[in-house]
Amino acid sequence: MTPLHFETLYQPEWDELEAQVKAVLGGKARRAKAADPVRGERVALLYRRACEHLALARARAYPRYLLDRLDRLTADAHQVIYQRSEFGLARLKRAASVDFPRAVRAHAAYVWMSAALFVVPTLLVGWLVYQRPDLILSVVDTQTAAQFEQMYSDSADSIGSLRTSDDDWQMFGYYIWNNISIAFQCFAAGIFGGVGSMFYLVFNGVMGGAVAGYLTERGLGSTFYSFVVTHAAFELTAIVLSGGVGLRLGHSLISPGRRSRLQSLVVAARECTVILYGVTVMLLIAAAIEAFWSSSRWLPLTAKYSVAALCWLAVFAYLTFQGRRAD
Amino acid sequence: MLDSVVAAETPEGIMLEMRPAGISARCCAFVIDWLIRLAILWVAAIVAGVLGGIGAAFWFVLIFALEWFYPVVFELGRAGATPGKRTMGLKVVMDNGLPVTPAASFLRNLLRGADFLPFGFGAAIVSMMVRGDNKRLGDLAASTLVVHLPRPAAKATLDMVTPLAPAYALPARDQSALIALAARAPTLTLERLEELAALAAPVQGTQPRPADEVARRVLGVAQWLLGRRA
Repeated sequence: MTPLHFETLYQPEWDELEAQVKAVLGGKARRAKAADPVRGERVALLYRRACEHLALARARAYPRYLLDRLDRLTADAHQVIYQRSEFGLARLKRAASVDFPRAVRAHAAYVWMSAALFVVPTLLVGWLVYQRPDLILSVVDTQTAAQFEQMYSDSADSIGSLRTSDDDWQMFGYYIWNNISIAFQCFAAGIFGGVGSMFYLVFNGVMGGAVAGYLTERGLGSTFYSFVVTHAAFELTAIVLSGGVGLRLGHSLISPGRRSRLQSLVVAARECTVILYGVTVMLLIAAAIEAFWSSSRWLPLTAKYSVAALCWLAVFAYLTFQGRRAD
Repeated sequence: MLDSVVAAETPEGIMLEMRPAGISARCCAFVIDWLIRLAILWVAAIVAGVLGGIGAAFWFVLIFALEWFYPVVFELGRAGATPGKRTMGLKVVMDNGLPVTPAASFLRNLLRGADFLPFGFGAAIVSMMVRGDNKRLGDLAASTLVVHLPRPAAKATLDMVTPLAPAYALPARDQSALIALAARAPTLTLERLEELAALAAPVQGTQPRPADEVARRVLGVAQWLLGRRA
């Protein structure tokens, strides 16, 4: 069979498939306007035929333009036929109620490791700076230290002094940008054998500990802790979780087991993605609390601490118990 | 084949050929996207300045969204590419040629944070140079691929040449070589065409003929092989 004969013989089938694929890819409006309604079984049949034709055309070394046309046709149809849809409320609901907490428990070892990397430096540096406040200058410069002190002091510019709602909104935006980026960084850097995650976890732990120790020593503890304790339930947990995912990625590269390193990385990444979804949502919640609740100073301390306790309990209960009975 | 082609096998047993995009194309795409983001932020800053506190919140959220989710939104769209990539004729797909999934797109763009290290996308550049399929770290973990959109090859339209039966039966490889030569003929200079046709001279007969005659007859054989008859 000559190429021209082949082309004229099967051209109508290819045209039909092309039209149907275009109609599917073109969205609703296009589908409604299409001359032929899209029929799934017909598309599948035409697709299999086109695959056969492509194989034949390659084996017979038909001209490039024919191969290219069949290449493109089969590639487009392949996308239409095998595409997965991952959206949908049912999936989201399942991710929130089962998949996320379950994935966290499945990676408990990494999460605890990450928590240790974050909490131990925090406590250690916090205690050191509490004992010797001048040590804070080895972490931040004089100006920044003064800024922290002023932020949590009782003066007019302090955080949580009667701020207008406009300022609340501004801080909300700033927290989203800053905090979520920190958490994402803790995760992403983990791909370098986990070292990057360790670095960011320890780094953020040291910074947090230094500030906390310094402010406590200055007697501003109550302002500071009442400010951070509520949103920390979500924010610190989220940072620890994303650090844990980073450690998992790094570990999958260092110790791939029976897979190739690349496969191992891909599998680890796939299993962890749902945790990153959860982390993102937790950080959004944290930002909202930080901007609108934590900073409002007119609230009595007892109210703040009780709500904070509830938040911590809720987060831990959710991660520990949610979704255990599914399936 | 000199091209860097990555093939993915489909369940139907055919190989989908994809051409991974190189560093230069992807850098250009990145710069275009970066300029677009900059322009959006600039316009937003003007609007935010008018709105005050809420405007500032909106602006920070916008920085965050553009930094991490600008590519995700566009990659999950119909084009499968950010405006920059689309301008450069690129597209993000899964390893197996399917459209990129939300999870993969989210992951590959989060790992931009690692690709950026130690500075100026150093990790990404090293990874892309080392690997034949030009994947950066994010692509490795998410098993995605940035490919060139296929460009259709020119169809051989040499209708003015009379088809001519080859002097002897040609194996499939030679047939396709002759047809490919015919497809390229319009883009070649006359001298180069005659030079190339001289290499295939035996297929049009053994009599000595002038070079332009040989070229025309070789192209005639190509027409005949395509299936045209006088």
